[in-house]
Amino acid sequence: MIQTHGLTKRYGSTTAVDHMSFTVQPGRVTGFLGPNGAGKSTTMRMIVGLDRPTEGSVTVNGRRYADHQAPLQEVGVLLDAKAVHTGRSARNHLRAMAATHGIATARVDEVIEMTGLASVADKRVGAFSLGMGQRLGIASALLGDPQTLILDEPVNGLDPEGVLWVRNLTKYLASQGRTIFLSSHLMSEMALTADHLIVVGRGHVLADAPVADVIAGAHGSKIRVRSPRADDLEVLLRRDGASVIATEPGLLEVSGTSAERIGDAAASAGLPLHELTPFGSSLEDAYLQLTADEVEYHSTPIGTATTTGASPAIQGASR
Amino acid sequence: MTTTTAPSIPVRFEPTVAVRPQTFGRTVHAEWIKFWTVRSTVWTLIATVSVMVGISVLAAWGSTSGAVDAGSGPINMALLLSAGYQLSVAVLGVLTIAGEYSTGMIRSTLAAVPRRVPVLAAKALVLSGVVAGISVVSMALSYVATMPWHATLHTTFDLTDPLTLRMTVGLPLYLVAIALFAFAIGALIRNSAAALTAVIALLLVVENVLMVIPLRAVELISPFLPSTAGRRVLFDAETLTATDAMTKGAHLAPWLGYGVLVVWALVLFALAAMMLRRRDA
Repeated sequence: MIQTHGLTKRYGSTTAVDHMSFTVQPGRVTGFLGPNGAGKSTTMRMIVGLDRPTEGSVTVNGRRYADHQAPLQEVGVLLDAKAVHTGRSARNHLRAMAATHGIATARVDEVIEMTGLASVADKRVGAFSLGMGQRLGIASALLGDPQTLILDEPVNGLDPEGVLWVRNLTKYLASQGRTIFLSSHLMSEMALTADHLIVVGRGHVLADAPVADVIAGAHGSKIRVRSPRADDLEVLLRRDGASVIATEPGLLEVSGTSAERIGDAAASAGLPLHELTPFGSSLEDAYLQLTADEVEYHSTPIGTATTTGASPAIQGASR
Repeated sequence: MTTTTAPSIPVRFEPTVAVRPQTFGRTVHAEWIKFWTVRSTVWTLIATVSVMVGISVLAAWGSTSGAVDAGSGPINMALLLSAGYQLSVAVLGVLTIAGEYSTGMIRSTLAAVPRRVPVLAAKALVLSGVVAGISVVSMALSYVATMPWHATLHTTFDLTDPLTLRMTVGLPLYLVAIALFAFAIGALIRNSAAALTAVIALLLVVENVLMVIPLRAVELISPFLPSTAGRRVLFDAETLTATDAMTKGAHLAPWLGYGVLVVWALVLFALAAMMLRRRDA
């Protein structure tokens, strides 16, 4: 379990992390979601004591990370793929890391096998691709069989097979009762992997809730209704308490009710329906809404920006 | 959120891998593995030994053929060696620590040993041991390699002779101190190229230039600069006299000079340890 209390990090006049307080619970995958520059990496570095908090505190399993007898058994961390000496082989890197905690060489071989590095384990890390470096980072994180796993953008540079592997691995590790804390700016990946989300923007916690709640808290579900008698239907639905937006002649966007109720209401009033399509709000919607005012680097929209065109994958996960 | 609102946890995590407490001994072990598994440090060691033995042979050959007046015996060879030899040892000292910063490895290192200062101490210990070891090996190899000239040079190796003893013990000690001095600078500057430049510039250029600048302030400071002071432990009586005749300011006794170098190394090391604790990695 990771607990932060008013965690703050300032660099000169810039505040990277601004009084963040949250708890990451064991037994589930907690996603740490936010735009670039939101303070995710800084927070993760503070958890394992690489960066000193300007204010506030953070504990892992009730203690400061540095106060644990065997830190690698408490927390395994993947910070970035480049935290390795480029002149050393993957195996020797892991051997040295293992030696700090008297971990047997057999465990080194085990994590090499587990992360699919066996064929390149004796090559210099400098020659590794981004994906291989990422796998080595995950291997180092797993070395001490840690209770808590902190992974900063673990799927960065991984191929689709690797992405799936990380997803299954993190879920499996969480099911063993471990605390899994995973950062990403990829909402779609989070929707598939995380159980719980901590959404951050400009150093603030914007949301701390189960994935489903974060999505529900955004727009709520909407239903697209097409009817030649849209005007009559709109009156009917409004009377029923739903909120309705007429987006074009004959087309309504309805929220605050269900597709079933709209269909039943239309049938009993004898109004024809040509389309009745629920479109769930996606994690992407929720995220963009939450972080709309918090992104540090705004881009100019190209053409018409649509945030509602959720991919089937996201809808599948947010059902 | 508090723990009371946490979802029921079906499984309580039980570790299955044997992990032992993090101790200083284990940190030293890890640093020992790290030292030998990077090519740059291994090549630097090979270069160091080669240079030392090579210079010994050249010096012996040179002095017997009259090309160079290098005095007599292995004693003066040690002196000759120290110049080129200290350079590669300084490089080794810098690379041991600054290489971790240049590659990002330091973050993995400090995540495993979050108390931080033990890492610095363990690295320094491994470095000292290796440098002392290769100094002795190099001296032994030099002695063997220069055997063909021993008779001509009237070489004797007698540790009951105070001067021979001081130089034989002094060379490894001098090089260990130089390595630690360079190591501390590497830890403070945290960048291989910049730290190497700083150390080489200081040891080979700045000190030698300052020695001949006829300003009173410089004359007072110069004898206390790290290499200027420390290498006196390797000087025989003639060299000490000759050096003293060339320079004004304090003329330190050999071991006192060495002590000054050790103080330099210790102060910089303490500063590096303090900064390591304070700075973000």
